[in-house]
Amino acid sequence: MIRFLAISFLSIFGLASCSLKTTEGLRQVHFNKVEVENPYFSNSEIDYVYKAKIEVYGKNFGGILILKKIGPENHRVVFTTEFGSKLFDFEFEGDTFTKHFIAEDLDKKFIVNILKDDFKLLVNESAEVLAVYESKNERIYKTQSDERFNFYFLEDRSEKLKKIINTTKTKEKLEIDFISSEDNIADIIAIKHNNIKLTIDLEKFKKE
Amino acid sequence: MRNYFLLLFLIVISSSIQAQETAMSASEINSFKEKVIATAKTTKTIKTDFVQYKHLVFLADDVKTSGKMVFKAPNLVKWEYTNPYKYSVIFKEDQLLINDGGTKSKVDIGNSKLFKKLNQLIVNSVKGNMFNDADFTVYFFKSLKYNKAVFVPKDKKIAGYIASFELLFNKDDAQVYEVKMVEPSQDFTQIIFSDRVLNNTVNDSIFSN
Repeated sequence: MIRFLAISFLSIFGLASCSLKTTEGLRQVHFNKVEVENPYFSNSEIDYVYKAKIEVYGKNFGGILILKKIGPENHRVVFTTEFGSKLFDFEFEGDTFTKHFIAEDLDKKFIVNILKDDFKLLVNESAEVLAVYESKNERIYKTQSDERFNFYFLEDRSEKLKKIINTTKTKEKLEIDFISSEDNIADIIAIKHNNIKLTIDLEKFKKE
Repeated sequence: MRNYFLLLFLIVISSSIQAQETAMSASEINSFKEKVIATAKTTKTIKTDFVQYKHLVFLADDVKTSGKMVFKAPNLVKWEYTNPYKYSVIFKEDQLLINDGGTKSKVDIGNSKLFKKLNQLIVNSVKGNMFNDADFTVYFFKSLKYNKAVFVPKDKKIAGYIASFELLFNKDDAQVYEVKMVEPSQDFTQIIFSDRVLNNTVNDSIFSN
């Protein structure tokens, strides 16, 4: 009996870890879209400024996140305290990453790598589509990112980007949710990690 | 003829820049310091509005936030941002009490020398009385409108964060009306005070979270 339980438990566990939750129960469909786009940081005339709240392992801190498209493939991402002191200042150009500044306490390889990966995914404007899935009211575009995959969730009717999920072959690692009322402007962004206790909540500055 | 005008133009421009700001003489520095210290001594409380501009060279507009600041001698300070978001921070002994839109937290700054220094700067800059700080070299300037003290950090670690710290003082009452923190990259944060009320009663209870 114990052996039976152990075997069933192991096999359930084994099966579960083989399939990716993201596409569970979804129908794969033919597609003609070659690239999927994230329009939320694509206008070089807009200063994208957000109040940021970060929770990491139960500790809270806040600041201001500033994003700007500064060239055809360049984005600058700067995080400051509410008083304006810079905590980090990164630049992304395609696959090239430049660290213009980072506060000493944050300058640790694993922290920099997490921030780099999160914000690279956030500002990346387009990616080649590998496969497309369909749910009740969404189309989900699968793209490659190094060893991992990104799934872009677009609402059927509006074609608005609602969510990006970053996964390995079997596990969801990161989720970015967007709430957008105006065209191509994300009012609220939530970045949530599944393997570490880190969430970043962003709320766009209101117009005066 | 054209060159003549250009020359004239340059002379007018350069002389107007000179008229704007010059270095203080030794005796001017002394009397200015005395005035600021005397004012700081009689300042028991300050309530003021402020507007903060964060300037980054690649942005079209500075990032603007605003709110109220309250100071109570000797060292209680509350910064309260109200626009475009609600965020307040209270400097109390070796702690920061933060209320980030309802999320409250406490930060112990006793162990961080750098953080302590930055906070001390914020507290002291409100009063203006920080000329004896051994960590900075101070330069003094004057113009028709204001007196200015520029603090340049001696410590390399602080210099990695701040290239200079500038305080602008009213000529008449020697109160700080503008604080500017310039980063090594030349990006800066500028805080401009307005509607200042001095020495009104301020209850200690506002300095708790």
